[in-house]
Amino acid sequence: MSLIHPIQAVVSNRSGELIFAVLKNVIIAYRYDQTNGKYLEMGKWEDQFSRDEMIKIAVVKEQARQLAENEEKGIKKSKTNEGNTIEKKHDAKIPVPGPGAPPIYSQIRNLMISNDETMLLACADSDKSVLVFKIETLNNDNCLKLIKRQPFPKRPNAITITEDDKTVIIADKFGDVYSMLIESPVIENIDEEFEPILGHVSMLTGVLSTTNNGMKFVMTSDRDEHIKISHFPQSYIVDKWLFGHKEFVSSICIPSWNSNILVSAGGDHGIFLWDWIKGEKLDEFDFTDLVLPYINENHLAPDRFQNEENDLKEFAVSKLVSLPNNPYFAFFVEATKLLIILEVDQSTYKMKLLQKIVLPYYITFISTFSDDKTMGFNISLDNRESGDKDFVKFIALDTTSNTFSIKEEQSDEFNTSIVNSFSKEDSIVKVELDEVYPLYNIISLKKHGEHYS
Amino acid sequence: MDLRNPNRDPNSRRVLYRTNKEENRKELKHVKIDESTLAQEGKKLDLPKKRFYRQRAHSNPFSDHQLDYPTSPDDMNWSKLFPHYYDSTTGKMTKDVTIADIGCGFGGLLIDLSPAFPEDLILGMEIRVQVTNYVEDRIIALRTNHAKDYQYQNINVIRGNAMKFLPNFFQRAQLSKMFFCFPDPHFKQRKHKARIITNTLLSEYAYVLKDNGVIYTITDVEDLHNWMVKHLEEHPLFERYDKEWEDNDKCVQIMRNATEEGKKVERKKGDKFVACFRRLPNPAIV
Repeated sequence: MSLIHPIQAVVSNRSGELIFAVLKNVIIAYRYDQTNGKYLEMGKWEDQFSRDEMIKIAVVKEQARQLAENEEKGIKKSKTNEGNTIEKKHDAKIPVPGPGAPPIYSQIRNLMISNDETMLLACADSDKSVLVFKIETLNNDNCLKLIKRQPFPKRPNAITITEDDKTVIIADKFGDVYSMLIESPVIENIDEEFEPILGHVSMLTGVLSTTNNGMKFVMTSDRDEHIKISHFPQSYIVDKWLFGHKEFVSSICIPSWNSNILVSAGGDHGIFLWDWIKGEKLDEFDFTDLVLPYINENHLAPDRFQNEENDLKEFAVSKLVSLPNNPYFAFFVEATKLLIILEVDQSTYKMKLLQKIVLPYYITFISTFSDDKTMGFNISLDNRESGDKDFVKFIALDTTSNTFSIKEEQSDEFNTSIVNSFSKEDSIVKVELDEVYPLYNIISLKKHGEHYS
Repeated sequence: MDLRNPNRDPNSRRVLYRTNKEENRKELKHVKIDESTLAQEGKKLDLPKKRFYRQRAHSNPFSDHQLDYPTSPDDMNWSKLFPHYYDSTTGKMTKDVTIADIGCGFGGLLIDLSPAFPEDLILGMEIRVQVTNYVEDRIIALRTNHAKDYQYQNINVIRGNAMKFLPNFFQRAQLSKMFFCFPDPHFKQRKHKARIITNTLLSEYAYVLKDNGVIYTITDVEDLHNWMVKHLEEHPLFERYDKEWEDNDKCVQIMRNATEEGKKVERKKGDKFVACFRRLPNPAIV
């Protein structure tokens, strides 16, 4: 029996009225209609870029390079028995994956909305590109208009946008950070024409940009426990590192209610709160005991790192978000059902548990909404066992009781809309159970010191 | 016997030699070597033999190696590397490391810099395990054999990946000199990011160097020399020293003649390309 692919990412504008979700290689947009409480489909975009084409281009390019190199070195062309030279020319062949080759997933990552809420940004794995969409709220056919698709040499792993919404900063899997003006034309030969503005010798996991005291900064986090703060646009001047993590960093955020604070999490079993201006760690919140009851067989370490008892479990924070106007953070550990909400004391900067919320399935993503009327979290779930229910849960703050709770009715309405959008059997996001994209890959960033010499 | 892995034969001379040296290292690596140690030992230590420390010439700087590095520069225990400069009454070091030799190889430069800069602590960083062991054994032997006048107390080596973890060891503006001697050329285009001088890494080197600190580079590969010069000249925080400065600088002389690679190039009558750069002060922040 086929199912609608679980949602990998969900974001909304500040009011929570416009919602964008990623299913497989599709982005879909909905608008919440206040009058009838329903979600209307506003637009859809599918990544149809074929990786085969890219491989073919790469193969042709490599062949041309080898031919040129042979020419230069004066290597003789092969000869037939009669002594005639023959020009060997092959069509570029697209390599066909052999049996047991890992499947290719055209993931869409790093979904985010610009500060002025007129653009949606994302990254496509297929051609390692950054996608910029204009959100045309008045276009009833499709509100998502792709205005830029810029491929990068290595896969973008995290992106952010500057406060003026003019520049996207891209951190890639190879450790390089690029800055791209949205309005500039697409660069074809990105390898030759684009220089990174800064870099780590490590996979990058997060990037932020912020302004403090009239100075602009870029923060980057990596697999080697580092959080680096550089000036911007003078990104060649490193301001400082924030040292303290002992495992990889997977998620960093700066709350808008206090831009001197940076919060980070990852493979360590604690949430770190920093005064990044001073470069000091102010607090660490250990979540081990909270999370342990929710750790399951998905967290067993890979065989080659497993202990003799076969019970070594490894887990890490997948994502950490902060509410823009209130001193609350929320995070979840990968492959758990538990959402943890923390409150920060704004005078002592100590974190304490505000609330735990158990979701019906494992959480795959979290984002926030917040305006003067409402605030809370958009949560997507690994609902593959649910029979096409519970794709998303909206969690909102009840200001009278100061507690967060799941908005069941609204969440159900959204789920109905998803089913309506994708219920047809031939829908691109209909998959078999074993075709679901990998949803849990943060823990694979954990280092085990595999290489000795 | 598997020739690529001589450790499989537990009685090979190399394994016996390495085991013996490892025990020696364990005992002496972090010990304050002075006349009393010498009296106990009563004999001179032989310098290590390079042929027992062979290993692959390259190491992938992107790999997940088993490395020891401090969480931050504040956590670094320098007393273990430079016990002679540790004041046990205050619990503090009397000096900080100010010179770093990145990719120090077999340690030739360290050993020649030691007497030339007696007031500085000099650290070599090397990513290859056996090569690091060799340098450690060499320093242990030299310290022991010169215990009377406390020579070679100001140099040491750590096994590490400077491309990833340099800022874990050094504070901002801690270093006055950094050496990059005969680095791995990484000829292939797609491996250029693995080179030790890239525009992104230079920003990190600039962070640990103080104003007017010097980056020294030397290589026998002209392409790599041009690459390093290009990137250093393009970087806003570095400015090249002229030929006259190079000719009058004692480090350039030592670097040209001291390193094992330098000697090898000398024997083969190859070229040596030198370039030195001054760390400029940060410009005004815009």
